[in-house]
Order: sequence, then structure tokens, then C-alpha cells
Amino acid sequence: MSLKDTFSPFSAWRKVFEKPVTIKDPISERPGADRYRGFHKNDITSCIGCGTCETICENEAIDMVPVEGVETKDGDSGLRPRVDYGRCCWCGLCVDICTTGSLSLTNAYTWVEEDPEKYRYTPGVDEKPWDNEEKGWKKPEPNYEFYNLNRVTMEHLHPEERSDSFVEMVKGYSKEQAEKEADRCVECGICTATCPAHMGIPEYIKAIRNDDLEEGLRILYDTNPLPEICGRICTHKCETVCTLGQRGEALSIRWLKRYIADQNPSEKYKKILNSGFLKKNGKKIAIIGSGPSGLSAAHYLALMGYTCTIFEKLAKAGGMMRFGIPEYRLPYDQIDKDISYIESLGVDIKYNTTVGVDITLEELGEKHDAVFSGTGLHLGRSTRIEGSDHKNVYQSIDLLRDITLGKEVPLTEDIIVIGGGNVAMDITRSLARLQKQKYGKAGIIATSLETEDKMPADREEVLEAREEDATVNPGWAPQRIEIENDKIKGLHVAQCYSLFDDEGKFNPQCNMDNLQFFEGSMVVESIGQGMDLSYLSEDLKHELEIDKRGRIKVNENFQSGLPWLFLGGDIIQGPDVIHGIANGHKAAKGIDEFLFEKQKDTPKT
Amino acid sequence: MKEIIDHLKKRFPVYEIGEGPNGVILMSVEAAKLVPMLTSLKTNHGYGILVILSAVDWLEDCKFQLTYIINNPDEKRDLGIRVFIKREDAEMESIHSLWEHAATFQREIKEMFGINFPGSPRVDEPFLLEGWDNLPPMRRDFDTKQYSEDTYFPRPGRETNDPAEYMKQKLYPDE
Repeated sequence: MSLKDTFSPFSAWRKVFEKPVTIKDPISERPGADRYRGFHKNDITSCIGCGTCETICENEAIDMVPVEGVETKDGDSGLRPRVDYGRCCWCGLCVDICTTGSLSLTNAYTWVEEDPEKYRYTPGVDEKPWDNEEKGWKKPEPNYEFYNLNRVTMEHLHPEERSDSFVEMVKGYSKEQAEKEADRCVECGICTATCPAHMGIPEYIKAIRNDDLEEGLRILYDTNPLPEICGRICTHKCETVCTLGQRGEALSIRWLKRYIADQNPSEKYKKILNSGFLKKNGKKIAIIGSGPSGLSAAHYLALMGYTCTIFEKLAKAGGMMRFGIPEYRLPYDQIDKDISYIESLGVDIKYNTTVGVDITLEELGEKHDAVFSGTGLHLGRSTRIEGSDHKNVYQSIDLLRDITLGKEVPLTEDIIVIGGGNVAMDITRSLARLQKQKYGKAGIIATSLETEDKMPADREEVLEAREEDATVNPGWAPQRIEIENDKIKGLHVAQCYSLFDDEGKFNPQCNMDNLQFFEGSMVVESIGQGMDLSYLSEDLKHELEIDKRGRIKVNENFQSGLPWLFLGGDIIQGPDVIHGIANGHKAAKGIDEFLFEKQKDTPKT
Repeated sequence: MKEIIDHLKKRFPVYEIGEGPNGVILMSVEAAKLVPMLTSLKTNHGYGILVILSAVDWLEDCKFQLTYIINNPDEKRDLGIRVFIKREDAEMESIHSLWEHAATFQREIKEMFGINFPGSPRVDEPFLLEGWDNLPPMRRDFDTKQYSEDTYFPRPGRETNDPAEYMKQKLYPDE
């Protein structure tokens, strides 16, 4: 042992009486750096529980758990992320991907517990000392994104190319565009609950990414037998809740659906969908109306082995999809593609057959095991203002039907359309096209009770109508139609400032000091449609329960008070195509269940 | 600064000269010319301090990037030199003879990325990962999640829900 070793303990002891060089409480004196990645914080009011943080976590440190007081509803799963600090490595990927921007890391980095199980908590729910800490890691702004905030632009025909023709105006995605757009999807599946048909949206978008469009088509047909149609004109409620819409543009779900359907040729459908041979079960179903609900019911019933006959009043199938929606939005050949596949499953469509006239509903009921009715809303409603009984006042729905049928529709150089919904925009834009073809210019004005911000029509419909030289002037209540020498001179309107009263009832209020006069020689009313249930005899009506608004009551399987009669589509729910499709699908399952139970109860003879 | 860059340009094959965060000048050089260049910067231009040595895995390009940040204390200026080396059997000349503490950086990079620095003191000894028997963990082909699943037992009390499936149960269980 050296001399130094002998003395060194004493020199150490001497230090005890000196002022220490270390500080006593280093932690509180040393906060994490401003952008330190410490413990999680989550604003649970802006979080929608999409689970993307859980998916990206490399360490499986995040669980999605229900939280008391957070409701599961459209656009919010009701779940919130819970972090297990036994696994978290503070890489911050969960913050960087967070679609809502609700998740962040604070710069707090000390946390002492005796029980290791406590190192697991739901940020924003379980209170922590760092809940109000502002410093820490946040997603860097701008231009630091794991996915593109903007959708791939859909190309449209220019107004000058389209405003005098009925050629389809939306061009559709190319392979490259579709795959790029599909790549934005984070696969959270929040959209599925909101889609009335609960389509497997993340799954079919994944099929696009994998360039497996046959798989994509199979996923579409699981829940929707009209993908070409829905891929064009669906009301796409799914896109309103898409989590990408939280900080950017929602995914173009509708156009991606169209891409899958467009890319699969119709002659391959039966092979792809494995529907070449369907075993018949010997039971017959009658379906009234070949609109979305009827076609959907027929499709799923045919797959189950039922022999389906659709009774259609008009000469072509499709209902409102063909006779209500203009060709420039939904070309007829695309309707035919979807319908001819359904026909190829053995579904028979009897055209020009009006139930209640050519054959009674009772007869259908006797000759078939069950009946599904989806007759839709095809009766135009009138404003019933003074002058609305004039012969040059038309219903939009009648004119749209005549345009599809190829009939010559009445036309003047100055037309007034009353209504602010999508049907009003459809007739305005259709008539503007016809005016351009006949007179070389459009002269049409659409007016609605609702002000611009409250118009029920899709925003793009209004903008596109204006691009096509139609005038849209909303916020006016029609008062009377001016008629002189039996000719329409125009429409008197008053400013409308309120639509509903305090109780939420429809009760428009007008400012009679602000009056306007729109000149025109023809008026089209487009304020909504009603149902025509004249095919129900008085005897049958007695056996059905009908509510105050004239709707027939059905159960969750769309079965009416008459057990063999099922109803769906616009007469029950909607109005829109996707609800019709969902209703038809559910009714098909309901019919199958009903007939299965019935057979069980019938003694064998 | 311009003089040094011009000087370096004349003597070494530098390229991609640009400015990084906080005004640091960054440039790339062929790997074979790195040590002579660092030696020149240290001995002739006052860049006496090695601040950090770090690596990036460019998996798709089959390359590793090494970045050497050096500092001139008199001018209070940083300079970043990048080199790219092939990813397969990755190897780089050691700079421990220029800066002794570079051996520690190199030992860490060997462990985390698997880049070898022949001759660097203690380069094969574990730095943080005692008993590690897997791919170097900072390589991008190392599957962190798979490693977690294989190595650690699931903690009791963990349960999760798929958002879409949970919404179905809550909102439309019968459809």
C-alpha cells in the first residue's frame, strides 16, 4: 500500500466540512429542453379516437380504451389512447402522425411511483402534474406531415366544354392518381359507422394500394351492389367524418370507389364475385320498383337463392338514379353496367308494369313468398302559391324524367326554378344545357328560401351551376307568379330571413319591405317530392300502421304490419341512394329470416 | 468561410455544399478523402474540436451516411462533413488518432448501426447493449415491434379496441 492510499480517506473526510459543489435539488432547477420528448398530453375533446397513434407505435405501448363521458358517435369512436410507460420509448411518432393534432409530449421527465403498474395512464383523462405544461414536443409546423393534407385533385371538364352537353363532367382517377390518393388513408375505419351501408372503406382502399382491384370489387359488393353509381353520386357521408378532414382535406372515398368499379370490366364480374352458379331455393320474391333499394334487395336475395322479379313502372330500370339524376353526373351506361350484373344473377325485370294498375299488390302477395316495395318519391310537391296552377308551371321531377326518356321538354329563354336542393340544381343545370343547345345561351335563375350558407344542395353543385351560366339567387320566398294575358311574366319574391320557429317547426319568415321580381316565362317547382302509395288498397292500408307524416311503419328488418310485405328506400328512409341500398340489403336478410322461420313452423305434409 | 470552402474545393473532391440548421455549413466528400480533409481542417484551419459523429441509415439507397461535426473555437463556427458508405459490410476509417474521444462515438455507432471502424480502441465492446444478439437496433431493417413482441411478456391489464369494430358494437351491433 502506497503512502497516498493511506492518506486519501482523510483528505476525503476533510471535504465534508466544505461547501458542496453539487446543488441540492437538481431536478426542479433543470426543466427539460423546450422541445424535450417527455410524458404524453392529450386534448381529449379534439381527439376522435382514430387509433392512428396506436397503429404507428413501434413498441405497442398504446391501447385504445373507452373513457367515461366520451360518447361513441359519428366521427368519434369514443376511445382514447392509454400509454404504457413500460414500453414507450418517447420516439414521438404518435405525436407526429396524430390526425387531429390533439396528442403532444410535454417536457416533463420525472415521475416516481412505488407501484410499477401505475406507469400506465390515459393522457387527458387521468390527471397528471404536467397536464398544463406548455413546453415539450409538438408536431413541427408546417410541412412536417406523414401523409398529404390535400387530396389528389379530380379533373373535371371545363365549363365551356360541358355547359351545352350531357357528357360526364368528372373524369375519374388514373391508376397513379388513385394509388396516390389511397396512400393518404390511415385505415382508422371511423367512416364505416357513418356510411349507411357500413361499407368496408379502409379495406377497399387498401386493395387499391395493393393494386388488387378484384379484391376491391369483392369488398364493394359485400355491402353495395351499385358501385359504379355510388362511386359517382353517393352523398358520401363517410367523407364528412374522415379523420384526414380534421387538419386537411378528407379522403376522396367516393372517387376511389368509382376507380375500383371503373377498372373492373363487366364481363369479368361473375368470375371475380364468384356468382356463376347460384343454387335456387325455389322461393319467389316480388320487388316493386327498380331503384336502389329494390335492386339491392334483388341482388342479395338472388345470391341467397331466391327467384326475384322486379316490377318496374317505366321502360328502363334504375328509378331515381336514371330518371332523377342527370346524365352528366351519372351516365346511363354506368347505370346499365351495375344493373345488368344484377340481372345476370337471374333477376327478372318486368318493365312498363305498374303495380296497382296492371297487377294488384294483393296478387303479388299471393303469387310470391314475400314482397319488397321500394317505390320512392316521384311526386313533385307544389308551392301552391298564386299562379302555380298555370300550365307553364312544371315539376322538376317530371321534367328530369322526360329528359331521360328522350321526350321533348318544354323550354323558354327565361326560366325560373324554385328550390335550393340538389334536385333543383339538377333541373337548373339540365335546362341550362338544353337552352344552350337550342338558343345558344342559358337564361335560368334558381331561387330558394334558404340563404346561400343554408342551401341543402351540395356546395359544388351550386358553384358548378354558376360556372355553367345559370344564376343561383338564394334567400327569397316565392309570393306569387305574375300572369298577364295567360302568359307567365315572372315570380314575385320576398326576402326570407328565418326558416324555422323557436320550436324547430318549418315556418318561414319574410321581410315584406324587401321584395323582388324575377322575370321569366316558365316556372319549375323543385321543393321536394312525395310518395305515391296508390297501389295500397284501402283494405291493405287498414292493416298497416302509418305515422303522421304518411310513412308506413316497419321494424328493423323493414317488415311492415303485413308480415309478407317489406318496404324500404326513400319511402322509409333517406332520401338518398346509399340508404336505399342499405335498406334493400337489410330487408333481404329480413325476408330470408322471415321465410326461414315460417318454414320451420309449417308442418311437413 | 468562403476562403476555407474554396481552399477545400481545390484540394478535396467536396460536393453538395449547403447550409444546415443554425447556419452550419454542410458538405459531402468521398469517404476515402475524409481523414486527410479532417486532418487539414484540424491542423491548418483551427477546427480543433470534434463535436459529434452520427449516422443515418438510407436503407432504400443501400447506404449509410456518417456526419462529422467539427468546431473552430476561435471563430465559434461549426462545419459538418458528410460521407456516404455502402451499407453492406459497412466499414469506415477510424479518426481516433485525430480525436481520442472519437473512439467512443465509433463504438456506439458500431453497436447501433453495425458500421465497423477497424483499429478503433474497444470498438467491439458493448456500449449500451449488454448481451445483444440481434440486428443493430438503429438499422431500419430492425423490426422494433417484432423484437418487443418476442422479447417482452405482455403486461397484465393491457387491452385494446379497434375503433371501427368498437363503433359497430356500440352503434349498430345487429347489422
